[in-house]
Amino acid sequence: MARRFIFFIVVVLMFSSCNSCQNSGKNVGDTFVIPDSLKEDNPVPISAAVIDDMIQNIASPIETAAVLKGLKIPFDKDLIANTDYSENFNTNFAKALGLGIYGCDLGYLNMYGKTSLVIDYISTIRSLADGIQVGQFFDFSTLKRLATNNENIDSLVLISQQSMSRIDTYLRENNRSNLSLVIVAGVWVEGLYISSVVTQDANNKRMRDIIGEQKEILNLMMPLLNHYKKDPNMAKLIKNFEEIKILYNDVKITSENAEPTTIEVNGELQIKQNDVQTIVMSDETLQKIIEKVKEIRIKLLKG
Amino acid sequence: MKNKFLIFAVLLFLLGSSGTAFAQTEDELVEICGVIAKEATYLKDFKIRLDAGDPPPLQRFSVILKKDIKYRFSVCNSKDQEGKVILELFDNNRLISTTYVIATGKDYPSIDFTCSKTGAYHLSFKFKDGKPGLAVGMLSLVETL
Repeated sequence: MARRFIFFIVVVLMFSSCNSCQNSGKNVGDTFVIPDSLKEDNPVPISAAVIDDMIQNIASPIETAAVLKGLKIPFDKDLIANTDYSENFNTNFAKALGLGIYGCDLGYLNMYGKTSLVIDYISTIRSLADGIQVGQFFDFSTLKRLATNNENIDSLVLISQQSMSRIDTYLRENNRSNLSLVIVAGVWVEGLYISSVVTQDANNKRMRDIIGEQKEILNLMMPLLNHYKKDPNMAKLIKNFEEIKILYNDVKITSENAEPTTIEVNGELQIKQNDVQTIVMSDETLQKIIEKVKEIRIKLLKG
Repeated sequence: MKNKFLIFAVLLFLLGSSGTAFAQTEDELVEICGVIAKEATYLKDFKIRLDAGDPPPLQRFSVILKKDIKYRFSVCNSKDQEGKVILELFDNNRLISTTYVIATGKDYPSIDFTCSKTGAYHLSFKFKDGKPGLAVGMLSLVETL
């Protein structure tokens, strides 16, 4: 009797352990198999140290939009890329670029709570993400429900951001950092385009500084892109970005260091950095940058 | 007697495996960290998993922070490991802030940082006293100034 009982327990255990393997909360990506056709034939070698040092949030889909909203700049539908352009994104490289561009647009829509437009963008993003085998990280059904029911904008922002962040992490961890960088480049160029048009229309000091400070970000991004310059698509993107970078040579950024101020408010630590960063950029340079960004952004959208 | 021992061994194994099944996942920690970050807008999370060591092993990340934005860095520890995470924020090699103030011995689940200079900053995570640990750090946006 006891032996039968033990046998029963062992059988139950075997089944339950198999079940727990399936539901262990393990990242979907850990077991996801990438078809060979999607892997590069000759990936450019890049040291682990460089990958580790890669900056996590070179361009965030939400920060530009948050600044615009903070400045009370009204929403403008014409600033974002039409989803019809997504038909031009046919290669893995182009899909990653499109994912970045539309990811940035989604951040803008979410920040302004434009849920009626969101569905079109999440559908486009999902399709591009599927195209490079990262669609499983984009929580399409939840986003669609939140957008359709116009409920909880904060959750919409959170899940969109988390989806983009998971895609980025997965690509980095699976030797596809090149695509992760291309997404970042897409987010960056779209964010700069939106800021450029707004600056042109509003001529706001804060917006001018945002355009100017992109020099720092471009200087950090270019060496990373250059690691993959053997890829003809990447070389083309680098060439485009170099045209912007040359214009930034006329932007002067200086910094003066100072000790930060730390205070405790209601048990929470608040640190105020006191460094002073000054951005000097002539109207002419600003105008040249704006025109160049517009030109390159439309070139990228047309494929 | 032998059978009783076998039953006991099997039940012990069953208890052990059920304990593993309820271990806190990194995604759950991200959710908890989101609660700590309160109303701030999520930007990025950092998963920290370090073994014991002396000196304490470090996990580093670089982030770009932008001028005139107030950021919040939040941390939360897994209850399954003894290590208590410490986050340090550096501008180049200059320590700007930390979630653990040695002078007071006080731990802060989050710190707010008002940035006045756009550029690359470095985050360094370690566990207090070099204990093994699992934690999540989160970067969120509080407000634009």
